Amino acid sequence: MSLSPQDLKQLFRRLLLIRRFEEEAFRLAVAGKFSNYHGGMGQEAIPVGVCYGLKPTDNTMITHRGLGVLLTRGVPVGEIFAGLYAKESCPTRGRHPIFHMAAPELGILAGTTMVGSVIPLATGAALAARIQGKPDVTISFFGDGSVNRGDFHEGVNLGAVRKLPIVYFCENNFYAKSMPLEASTAGGSIIARAQGYGLPSELVDGNDVVAVYEATQRAVARARAGEGPTFIECLTYRWTPHSTAGDREFSRTAEELASWKAKCPILRLRKQLIEAGHASAEELDAVDIDIQREVAEGVEFAEAAPYAAPEVALENVYV
Amino acid sequence: MARMSYAQALNEAHRIAMHDDPRVFVLGEDIGVYGGIYRVTKGLQAEFGEQRVLDTPISEIAITGAAVGAALVGSRPILEIGFVDFVGTCWDQVFNQAAKFSYMTDGRASVPLVIRMACGAGLGYGVHHSQSLEAWFTHVPGLKVVMPATPADAKGLLLAAIDDPNPVIFLEHKFLYEVKDEVPDGRYTVPLGKAWMAREGADVTIVSWSGAVPWALKAAEQAAAEGIECEVLDLRSLVPLDEDAIVASVEKTGRLIVCHEACTTGGFGAEVIARVVTRAFDFLDAEPLRVAAPDIPVPNSLPLEAVYLGTRERLLEAVRGIVS
Ligand SMILES: Cc1ncc(C[n+]2csc(CCOP(=O)(O)OP(=O)(O)O)c2C)c(N)n1
Ligand SMILES: [Mg+2]
Repeated sequence: MSLSPQDLKQLFRRLLLIRRFEEEAFRLAVAGKFSNYHGGMGQEAIPVGVCYGLKPTDNTMITHRGLGVLLTRGVPVGEIFAGLYAKESCPTRGRHPIFHMAAPELGILAGTTMVGSVIPLATGAALAARIQGKPDVTISFFGDGSVNRGDFHEGVNLGAVRKLPIVYFCENNFYAKSMPLEASTAGGSIIARAQGYGLPSELVDGNDVVAVYEATQRAVARARAGEGPTFIECLTYRWTPHSTAGDREFSRTAEELASWKAKCPILRLRKQLIEAGHASAEELDAVDIDIQREVAEGVEFAEAAPYAAPEVALENVYV
Repeated sequence: MARMSYAQALNEAHRIAMHDDPRVFVLGEDIGVYGGIYRVTKGLQAEFGEQRVLDTPISEIAITGAAVGAALVGSRPILEIGFVDFVGTCWDQVFNQAAKFSYMTDGRASVPLVIRMACGAGLGYGVHHSQSLEAWFTHVPGLKVVMPATPADAKGLLLAAIDDPNPVIFLEHKFLYEVKDEVPDGRYTVPLGKAWMAREGADVTIVSWSGAVPWALKAAEQAAAEGIECEVLDLRSLVPLDEDAIVASVEKTGRLIVCHEACTTGGFGAEVIARVVTRAFDFLDAEPLRVAAPDIPVPNSLPLEAVYLGTRERLLEAVRGIVS
């Protein structure tokens, strides 16, 4: 469970891949190549820290934000870009935005656009693992905006009362669209709600990839041992607007954004690696160049990819 | 008269209603400070304050139920649910609560509520943001269902919906928000249940509503160039339904096509045809047709979405077919 220097370098690579991907996706969306991109820049430590230690048989269900989980779990960069362009060469073949793609072999279950509706779904996947006698754990990702929906309360309660093998994972970036957390969420604490359902819970620095990794590993171990769900709340911040469709960040101040940028998860790990003597700046820069090439190739692949043929629209309504 | 968009016309209707009637208040997600995804509620919070223009948590059950509850005690809420696709998250409050109170209580309780939702495809938003679900609502007695096709109607129908003592489902087509046209000044209402004769013609009746009205008008224009005169009827509201206007038109033309954006099966087109067959069977010179979407979810990529929206192109063929 403890991370070797090699592991840390792997984490760094994954973080940087997401960052470079996010930058490019944001740029392309703003340039009008595709519409409405929900950037996850600034939140990279969460997908990387959560997914790094998972088995491919462990399931993840994600939200509309941050394609980092897909990248970390092994969906090729080019396929994800193709998804943003709604081209055929992606797992949804252009039928639905890429973030809710399914890749069961990678443990990626589908998702849903309805904020919070993922929580009962993920709970069901965990229930089935129990019934099927499998050791698989499910990670249910959701944003702070989800916790005021009935689906959150009903889903978490069901998981808790049945002691299911699931991790309820809240990415608290303090805003749901234009709505600040304190204006929407009574009691002021998300994690207190989990405690209300009797769940062990952890409040984690979501910009510290190692802390996210370790908390997830503890939660996954508990779930696998049959001890039931854990609730993790990670504090983080999105650096970009809710989406590229329209700026609504009225209540976010420039100082707030700057203070979170100073907590960049990638610079933090980079500094750690160099200071501990695990890597040189040159080595890490070389990783960056490599990643930038991977991202550029991904974009090229997507640009060149065809749209699905019209008949595809009529297929798979039923299996 | 002023030239403005469908979204601006809706915004003006809100402003007039809120100004004239202190019982009116507006609630929804991202509608206050931000002014709503389609800018329909833009500026209202600054003008009328946070007590009457409420930004709410993402709690569709709570806000729908609360709007119904507020209506029960004499308020006139206008609730925005950003996309009709989201109504599933609060459906019980709509069809079991809002729709039933008048009947249950022998009219002692009423729910003067407007629920505004965006519907329709054409922008590449995918399966959860593009559906046309109007038929669901028409199947629930107790709900009125309104679907404006033009800026002027958007304003007049919304003001009528706000005045109505019943729960009104007000479906706005997201492809129409930016469409501009002349809109009368000040307060006026367009009565619910009164269809609009958008074009007169002797050969074929095309019944449509919402985003399909522009398609029908375009097809009618193309057909006219081929010597086929279509009458285009915009229903404006599905409940109440202007059955008389439909029947009168079919009695004149003898041919009926219903054109809607929603999927074919279980669509409201079936209801229109059933009513016409029941009341005006002897006037029909050809079997009535529905031209509507294939029974698929709405895909995301524009070329695939175009398959779902193929109704636009098939309408003209249907017009040619029905007269031949
Ligand atoms: C049930 C439901 N209501 C409203 C929306 C519209 N919506 C999409 S994202 C979003 C904000 C979600 O905020 P949060 O859960 O904090 O995630 P974040 O965007 O901050 O990552 C809203 C309101 C939706 N998709 N589903
Ligand atoms: Mg959030």
